[in-house]
Amino acid sequence: MSLWGALAGGVVGTIVLTSGLRIAQELGWTRMDIPLLLGTVFTDDRSRASVIGYAVHFVNGLLFAVGYYAIFRAVDHAGWIFGAVLGVVHASFSGGALVTVLLPAVHPRMGTPWSDSEETPILEPPGFMLVNYGRRTAVWTLLVHVAYGAIVGGFAAHLS
Amino acid sequence: MERIDGYAPIREYALVGDGRTTALIARDGAVDWLCLPNVDSPSVFARVLDAERGGSFRLEPGVPYEAERRYQDNSNVLETTFTTAEGVVRVTDAMTLTDDDRLSPLRELCRKVEALSGTVPLRWSFDPRFGYGERRTELDRRAGRWFAHSGTECVALGAWNVGEITANGATVGGELRLREGDSALLELSAAHKEPAVLPSRDDVERRLAQTARFWPRWAGRIRYDGPWRDAVVRSVLALKLLVYAPSGAMVAAPTASFPEWIGGSRNWDYRLTWLRDASWALDALIRLGIDDEAHAFFWWFMHASRVTQPRLQILYKVDGSAHSKERELSELAGYRRSAPVRVGNGAADQVQLDVYGSVLDAIWLYVQDVGHVDGDTGKEIAKIADYVAEHWRERDSGIWEVRAETTHFTQSKALCWVALDRACKLAERGLIPDRTDRWSAAADEIRAFVDKQSWDAERNSYVRAPDLRELDASLLTMAILSYDDPAGERLRGTVAAVERELRQGPFVYRYRGEDGVGGEEGAFLTCSFWLVDALARQGRLDDARRLMDELVGLANDVGLYSEEIDPNSAEFLGNFPQGLTHLALVNAAHSIEDAQ
Repeated sequence: MSLWGALAGGVVGTIVLTSGLRIAQELGWTRMDIPLLLGTVFTDDRSRASVIGYAVHFVNGLLFAVGYYAIFRAVDHAGWIFGAVLGVVHASFSGGALVTVLLPAVHPRMGTPWSDSEETPILEPPGFMLVNYGRRTAVWTLLVHVAYGAIVGGFAAHLS
Repeated sequence: MERIDGYAPIREYALVGDGRTTALIARDGAVDWLCLPNVDSPSVFARVLDAERGGSFRLEPGVPYEAERRYQDNSNVLETTFTTAEGVVRVTDAMTLTDDDRLSPLRELCRKVEALSGTVPLRWSFDPRFGYGERRTELDRRAGRWFAHSGTECVALGAWNVGEITANGATVGGELRLREGDSALLELSAAHKEPAVLPSRDDVERRLAQTARFWPRWAGRIRYDGPWRDAVVRSVLALKLLVYAPSGAMVAAPTASFPEWIGGSRNWDYRLTWLRDASWALDALIRLGIDDEAHAFFWWFMHASRVTQPRLQILYKVDGSAHSKERELSELAGYRRSAPVRVGNGAADQVQLDVYGSVLDAIWLYVQDVGHVDGDTGKEIAKIADYVAEHWRERDSGIWEVRAETTHFTQSKALCWVALDRACKLAERGLIPDRTDRWSAAADEIRAFVDKQSWDAERNSYVRAPDLRELDASLLTMAILSYDDPAGERLRGTVAAVERELRQGPFVYRYRGEDGVGGEEGAFLTCSFWLVDALARQGRLDDARRLMDELVGLANDVGLYSEEIDPNSAEFLGNFPQGLTHLALVNAAHSIEDAQ
């Protein structure tokens, strides 16, 4: 089991996750746009937001890989399947709390039950399990996070 | 304004836009056409193509009224003033322009209502139908707003001071009463593959004010003090709305399948860019001082056509892609039952040799403006000229994209001559590789062919094609593009023959013969302006001015023209507003000014 393997898995897994969501957008399944959501925390400018958002997303991907690695070490086990199981947990956390509750709470441009669009233009909030961005968003989010987890788990287990 | 079976006359529409897409707004306050996110995307409102299923965004007084419209001065912001027995309200419509300072919607349509006097009851409804009305639209209420969505498309409705809002199926609406001094605001915020942005009222109003300031500033660049200035400026503002800002391409018209005859089947999608329009566009824009748009269009078509060069496709999508599959939307009834409704355009696969003349002439105009082209581009231009020298003998479908058998259209051959003539001029200036011997020889052959095979001594005119002994208004372009001396005997005879056989009052038909489509069509407004242009170049200035006066009077109340017109009723027909008509107007005005 290796931290470098987990980090490498984080890079590859984030690429797969991001690409998977882009494909889902192109297929007409979701309006989820993670780079825009993350980037608009820092700027109003759409172009800059996308660039910043991609960078933040990759950093997040690496940080989550470190988190996965910590769990692998704690239970002394890593692998594709265990990583995929963690991916399910990760997706549930992302869709149920991280993007739905925590991100709106810290995002200066995202609507919450206590924000007011009369004060600032706001981004449409994602809603529980992100369904505001399309009903299939939750399913697709689960699939790409499972893929991410499997890749991190597999890389952590097999790369030294 | 009276609707017939729910359809407003095409003449009753005005256009607003943001450089990405456009909306058509009828005199009765209904937004009946809007494609999102881009001009060539599927529609969200398409009541013009199906009064029942198309969807619209309506806003009008709830009592009898008179409506007057105008664009704000030198602007594409529209004002409609409704006068009722109980008072007067003004609706200001605009698609707002990109705002870099604040997070703003991907596309935004603003509808601001102001009560000018009395108390006026109004009613409105918001009834989006995605995908040309073919896709299921879902409606939700969240965060104090209404969201209509389908797949990755979403429009959110912002509404301020509009009273109680009710929902019925996928439609929301309401009624309100505004007293003198009151104002209300409706705003459509569109999202595509992303979360919607929900602006505050202040933000919307600020963007609306910014947009209102932008247009006169932009129009201030127009250098023209000649006759019919108002019509020229309005045409240029309309043309600006046809430019897809991200690429610089100019669509032929922002609509699809507006019929060329009521109840007919000549219904085509014009939300694409025809290379043919290049020379007309560059001529008009460069002379008016609209250099940025002219140069952007030039580089767009040089870049887009790179995939197929030296062969040129006749049309490309605004993003530069070469494929535009034509399909019929069988579930839409069509404008006043003019079916089928087509989107995409199958003419993309046709061979039309005249396009080479238009493109080489556009290159020549560009070079005269900026003085040079780079070496690689020069080589590409020379290869296009080589292609013309090799292929001019082939049959084609001609400028009018006939769907009958191909033939040797006279205008196509003449434009091949124009292409080679411009290539020789470019080579003489040392801007492209010099193969003038070859190009001149081919040009001479073309002229011999046209002068022998396409000349009808009895008519004293060129004819449509050697095997089609009839008139074709496109022959007027031979005078405009200097195929020969416009005042020479042959072109004088041809112009006179066009007037004799194709003209009806101020109206000019394209041709009278068959074209493989069937059914009737109206007179072609571009041809009328071409006639003005040709008359001016022949020194028949009084005739040109008189006809120009008549044509300028045929515009609708906000100065826009469609593609065609019914000579008997003056009803507009075909896609609207039509870029080629407005380009021809501008160039005709210039020709008269030059000749004076």
